[in-house]
Amino acid sequence: MTVASAAGVPLVDGDQAPLLARPYYASGDPGPIVAALAHVPEILDAAMPFISVILGPSSIVVRRKELVILRTSARLGCRFCVNAHTVVAADAGLSREELRALRGEAPLEDVFVDTTERAILRWVDAVAGAGPVASTERDALGSHLPTHEVVELTMLIGATMMLNRFCTALELPTASATAGRLDELDLR
Amino acid sequence: MSAVAEAIAGGVLPGRVWMYSNYHCNLACAYCLTESSPHAERRELAADRMREIAVEARALGFTDLGVTGGEPFMLPWLPETLAELADVLPLVVLSNATLFPPARIERLAPLAALPAAIQVSLDHADPEPNDALRAVHNFATVVDAIPRLVERGLRVRIASTVDPDRPQSDEERTRLCELHRRLGVADEDHVVRPIVRRGRARTGGLGVDPLPGDLPAELTITCDGAFWSPFAPTVQGGRLDTDLLVTRTTQPLATPAAALLRLVQGRPPGSDADLGIR
Repeated sequence: MTVASAAGVPLVDGDQAPLLARPYYASGDPGPIVAALAHVPEILDAAMPFISVILGPSSIVVRRKELVILRTSARLGCRFCVNAHTVVAADAGLSREELRALRGEAPLEDVFVDTTERAILRWVDAVAGAGPVASTERDALGSHLPTHEVVELTMLIGATMMLNRFCTALELPTASATAGRLDELDLR
Repeated sequence: MSAVAEAIAGGVLPGRVWMYSNYHCNLACAYCLTESSPHAERRELAADRMREIAVEARALGFTDLGVTGGEPFMLPWLPETLAELADVLPLVVLSNATLFPPARIERLAPLAALPAAIQVSLDHADPEPNDALRAVHNFATVVDAIPRLVERGLRVRIASTVDPDRPQSDEERTRLCELHRRLGVADEDHVVRPIVRRGRARTGGLGVDPLPGDLPAELTITCDGAFWSPFAPTVQGGRLDTDLLVTRTTQPLATPAAALLRLVQGRPPGSDADLGIR
């Protein structure tokens, strides 16, 4: 069993997977994030449940979460995450035009007309930037969403930024299956 | 009672914590798990760290310590450190017994009054098959050293590592036991185990392939992290094996201990002894 190579660090393959990492390899290639984190199994052991809770199904609909993840990843210039979540977002029902806009390839305002989604995207731009975050943007989002969703989306932006920098710094390679889907979507 | 102590008392977790003091060795045995040799990287645990591990191990409820390598006695400061460790918990140190000039044995003398044993490798009753896998003149050197250790009051154990593809005959085993008794080592201090096919043994096609259940879950601390067993932090082709890595974190010891406990929980007691790899 092997995983994609040509990363900025060697990726741990199945026959060297540490004990705490083995469940992630049980179904085959676990993907580059797991195969990199497997070098430090206790971090993998803590990180994957965290990532799963933050990025996975929750009380917030998948479409909104993918808006956040893809927009954040595009702002931080993470090629790995942009590629992966272009596919996930497409599977969640986002249109090609919406995907292009979230990736920064078209104006957001021309595509997203829903006022709540616009507030979410402005919040992403505020949080994923540098320096203080204006309270006016937080108040604007709060006028559309309950507090718990503001908190969760803010954590989602932060977790995505963490993964963006991890994947970018370690040059994690896009999986071949993802690359194939991007070709089908003409969004390579 | 701590979770570790409960697990040890219940037979779920072995009580010994091992430390890889170093990876270099004056020998380069054919079946070495760690590809140790005079040219291997030292990758030492510092004496201070070994003392900390011992104290942490006792506080967590572990009952015994083990020191292995490499050849631990390549470290010039080891004798005094061993006495400090044995003052914390009962100790066994593994050695090839080729680095025991009289002066070093004198420095080991305090161990005679402590719960400590030196486990020496001696594989055959005859020099030729013993030295073939270990080193020229190894048999003679070891047979010379053991009585001098025993004479100084030190407890010596002998570990015989055998090639399962060339099992010793009853006559050979009998002569080996006669030899260790003659050297002053009791029957209960003689262990026989198969070559484990990891490290240099795997490269040479020697030994048995251990399944995870064959290796006792004895927490093993190295400079690279905490492992499942002293047979786990092996090296092949110059690369450390990570398949039996538990955690990179070793300090506090509670971190790898908790992870190891999680891994072993649910396994029935005694399931680690199928191959008798001890």
